[in-house]
Amino acid sequence: MQVSLNWLQTHIDLGGYSTPQISDILTFAGIEVEGIEEKGLSTDKVVVAQIQSFEQHPNADKLSVCQVDDGSGSLRQIVCGAKNFKAGDKVPLALPGASLPGGFEIKEGKLRGIDSNGMMCSGKELGIGVDTGGLWILDSALPTGKPLNQIVESDTLFDLEITPNRSDLLSHLGLARELAALTGLPLKGPRDHAKASSTTKIETSNLKLEAQDGCPFYTARVIKGVKVGPSPAWLKARLESIGLRPINNIVDITNYVMMEMGQSLHAFDLDKLSGGIVVRRAVEGEKILALDGIEHGLLTEDLVIADSKRALAIAGVMGGEETGVIEGTTNILLESAYFSPSGVRRTSRRLNLHSDSSYRFERGIDSQQVQGGSDLAVKLILEIAGGSAENELSIAGEAPILVGTVDLDEVRTHRLLGIPTLSANDAHGILQKLGLIKQSATPEKSLWTIPSYRLDLQRSVDLVEEVARVIGLDRVPSKFTATFASGDATDRQYDHAMQLRQALANRGFNEAQTLRLISTPQIDDALGNPLGAAGAAALKNPLSEDHTTLRPSLIPGLIASAALNIRQGASRLRLFEVGRIFLKLPNGMVREEERLAILLSGPVSPSSWHGRVTTAADVFDLRGVVESLPGVTALETKVLKDNDTFLLHSEFKIGNRVLGWIAQLHPARARRIDARQPVYVVELLLSALRQGSTGPAKFTDLPRFPGMTRDVAFELPADVADAKVSAFFTSVKEPLLMKSELFDIFADPSGAKLPADRKSTAWTLTYRASERTLETAEVEAAHARILSALQKALPVTVR
Amino acid sequence: MIEDAAHSSTGKITGLMARFGMIRGSRRLHPPYSAPIIAALYPPPLSDFFPAMLFQLDSLKIEALAALESLSDEAALEAFRIDYLGKKGKLTAVSAGMRDVPVDLKKEVGAKLNDVRDAITGGLASRLEALQAAKDAAAVAGIDITLPGRPGQGAGSLHPLTQIRDLAVRTLRRMGFTLADGPEIETEWHCFDALNTPADHPARNESDTFYMPDGKLLRTHTSTVQIRTMESAKALPVRIIAPGAAYRRDEIDATHLSVFNQIEALYVDVDVSLADLKGTLEFFFREVFGPNTVVRFRPHFFPFTEPSFEIDVKLEAKGKEARWIEIAGCGMVDPAVFAEISKKRGDSLFDPDKVTGFAFGMGLDRLAMIMHGISDIRHLIENDVRFLQQF
Repeated sequence: MQVSLNWLQTHIDLGGYSTPQISDILTFAGIEVEGIEEKGLSTDKVVVAQIQSFEQHPNADKLSVCQVDDGSGSLRQIVCGAKNFKAGDKVPLALPGASLPGGFEIKEGKLRGIDSNGMMCSGKELGIGVDTGGLWILDSALPTGKPLNQIVESDTLFDLEITPNRSDLLSHLGLARELAALTGLPLKGPRDHAKASSTTKIETSNLKLEAQDGCPFYTARVIKGVKVGPSPAWLKARLESIGLRPINNIVDITNYVMMEMGQSLHAFDLDKLSGGIVVRRAVEGEKILALDGIEHGLLTEDLVIADSKRALAIAGVMGGEETGVIEGTTNILLESAYFSPSGVRRTSRRLNLHSDSSYRFERGIDSQQVQGGSDLAVKLILEIAGGSAENELSIAGEAPILVGTVDLDEVRTHRLLGIPTLSANDAHGILQKLGLIKQSATPEKSLWTIPSYRLDLQRSVDLVEEVARVIGLDRVPSKFTATFASGDATDRQYDHAMQLRQALANRGFNEAQTLRLISTPQIDDALGNPLGAAGAAALKNPLSEDHTTLRPSLIPGLIASAALNIRQGASRLRLFEVGRIFLKLPNGMVREEERLAILLSGPVSPSSWHGRVTTAADVFDLRGVVESLPGVTALETKVLKDNDTFLLHSEFKIGNRVLGWIAQLHPARARRIDARQPVYVVELLLSALRQGSTGPAKFTDLPRFPGMTRDVAFELPADVADAKVSAFFTSVKEPLLMKSELFDIFADPSGAKLPADRKSTAWTLTYRASERTLETAEVEAAHARILSALQKALPVTVR
Repeated sequence: MIEDAAHSSTGKITGLMARFGMIRGSRRLHPPYSAPIIAALYPPPLSDFFPAMLFQLDSLKIEALAALESLSDEAALEAFRIDYLGKKGKLTAVSAGMRDVPVDLKKEVGAKLNDVRDAITGGLASRLEALQAAKDAAAVAGIDITLPGRPGQGAGSLHPLTQIRDLAVRTLRRMGFTLADGPEIETEWHCFDALNTPADHPARNESDTFYMPDGKLLRTHTSTVQIRTMESAKALPVRIIAPGAAYRRDEIDATHLSVFNQIEALYVDVDVSLADLKGTLEFFFREVFGPNTVVRFRPHFFPFTEPSFEIDVKLEAKGKEARWIEIAGCGMVDPAVFAEISKKRGDSLFDPDKVTGFAFGMGLDRLAMIMHGISDIRHLIENDVRFLQQF
């Protein structure tokens, strides 16, 4: 909200405070100052000048060359682009050396070859008032040569963020009240307009409330014979200072009253109404052309102000175009009412129609000054626009009582604030300054009457909050205490995930964090079927079609990141992510799960002066990374079928646990992201990884006797998986065999050295006994037993 | 390649030296007793019996030491060893004459023999050592140590958000907080109702919050974990932190993400006050931003805490005016939250008249941007390796 310091000063004398001090007072009372703007001219080099004559610029159609009297006695030549002046007009003239808002300095110079010794200005260029489309034409009575800063009032504008609980601060009087409480300065006038009005109230059949829950209290006052026209300068200036555009005196007065004391009003052109006023719900299909020039369709939950024929205004939100006060209006009906916050909020949100009025009603206005607001507006209308007001104020309903009395629990105050030196007097003093009235007090608690504008003070803790807010946290001591805390599964999960991240970073991988919300085409494209979007959870109200669905896997995000990096010229990609994925289960529920995914592509190591590395990483580089992760032991591989999306697609298991899957991105798809080398991905379940790393490792005693190794090479059909041979060596019953290691594989697709459907593998077998040194003969015998068993178990030919 | 050659030659020479017990520290080279014995032999106070043998030994020594001078490679030294010290070597041949030396002279002649053997072995050893030293020096000659190192598998990195989150987590764990977690797809009750958010609060609108078709929503803050934790807590105190993702229906631009990262803290016990909140946060921010960090608490409004504050940290940069940066929100848990929890639990562990607590939360994305001077939040989700490798 824009707040004018000059306006505030009509209620409280803040002369003793500098702008930064006021800003600090507001800030530490919970009123955030988002901006401060000094309006007006600090320079005295902008003067009142009179245009004596002007002629067309010889070299530029749009420019004029003007001879201007700046009060110095001799004429000054100024080249000017504006058109809205005539000879004899008085305008602001910025002399050379003048510094205008935005740090713009005026210098003597030439414009299209013609000397120009200054600049004639618009209001906007001077940072005063609003743009009127050209030079600011000044009052002709002003003396030529007089510095403008002696004529135009300067002001300080605060842009304040009022928290939603403090609707009472949405007016200058409300803020002045708060500042009075915070500074101890007196208010110049009354705290509010809630005092009983001297105007007579009548209930009339011309005013009906049909929806009391949306509008419990409505008032209307008729004023006849007004003269609608421009507002006087002071009123225009007030509104302009806080960024409101003056319209006409009646509308301006309603806006002024709203910004002055928070009551939103509306003036109807009485002669355009048919019959009395009804406050009712809209009927099915009802429409209204509002002052924003848009026809809004209404629902039956929306509240309208209507006459006997049609809706005249959307209650609390905006008036209708047809019945607004315009030039020529002579008789008006002035509405002042209390509309319930939830109704106004619902309608204004749905129509996406927000006004200063709806802003205030949504947050809640002071129900006790509905009539005070009307009285103030009537007084101003009679002063400014003339006419005569009816003696009676028509009313319907009753102003709701929204606040009452609240206890301050003294013990709780102490406990919650933790200020040992806080006395009851301190706390009570603060509440009294804020306008609360003490009804009674005991050492345990005191009872307070809440002013009608403080809708936020309903409970004891609300009063504690007020004390804390005003005292500030400076008086609260800083307590440094901790309690012992025992970790649980979440702590271990966090540590495990960090351990994984660190392990991968140490192996040269860069951690990515990709979007959780992605699109279904992206999911299908990255995962194909059946892993794709069918198992993903879609949002009901996505914001854009790129972010419709919660990711069912980390892989689509990593592929997108790979594509981005390839576009930036990277060819060596080592990315990983640890994060949450979302799986839609057959029963419709969504399971959230933490996963680790890795993407690998490009040269195995970076090139450097040691050599240009061209060897592309392959699936075994990635598998090697997986095998090195903490918690991974004895990885079992279940080969899945290749498809359009993946090659080498395989599932990893440890025992019965599924650990995840590995694959090469199908080359056709890799080419689509311009990858020049194969792209490999792996995705693992963190829960499965964690199970593999429970508890401290158990020590195995070191061998005390030397072992002996024997190498064996054998041929076997090319399609027999290594895992089968490996499983044979692991499970064969030979107590002396300690270890088997594959050290070579040979195959010749040409069939020249070995039939193309055969391969040759070579293994080193280690024999050892734990309690003695083996004799050669024993080893030979054991080795022979193994080879014979091997040939029985598998279709191998020992070479 | 240079290193490889050096290694293999070092290996060979060291092997050779070890074979003859010439490695420094080997027993045979110590003590150096040959010099006094040589002095005792000249002039030789000997009987006439074996002057030839003594003479032979002397000349063998002179010959051998002279021969060593000219030898400069391993092979020649090995040949020299065989020539003099081998089984059929010259010294071995002379020493065979010891059998014929009369008993009373054996000591004298034996000493002479030892002296000559030591001189030859010592000479050989020092030649080998010199040769090794020259090779060692040659092995590193010409290496330009200013060249960059081998990149290995390249430099990996942790995402800046991970690093900042871990910094926060490590700090808060030292302060006695443990981790808590909760789902990101939440019920409206956990996200709003339980947190004292009015039924018609704008945050609940579909324009601001993502909903699932079944009416659940994507949590708009990690404060839901406060509720989850209190729902299942077995005893007081509750002292937890919850880092995690939250969602808001915002268009992605330079300062907004629709998914962002927060860390949440909650401390509930029978006597938690604003003083605990203030001390905890001051300590935390000094740990994170440095011991001279100044923080300020501005009163604010949140539905789930009362009183509520926003926290600004004063950031000072050289040559620039210090700035207050809004960094977190906090407050004392609103009794309405405890009341709602108690209703749900059906017990009095969180009786609003008995317990008090504080909560705070902060945006980790913002924290990372401030700490690293990142101007556009989208860098955090694009995963450009050139960005990631800077951290």
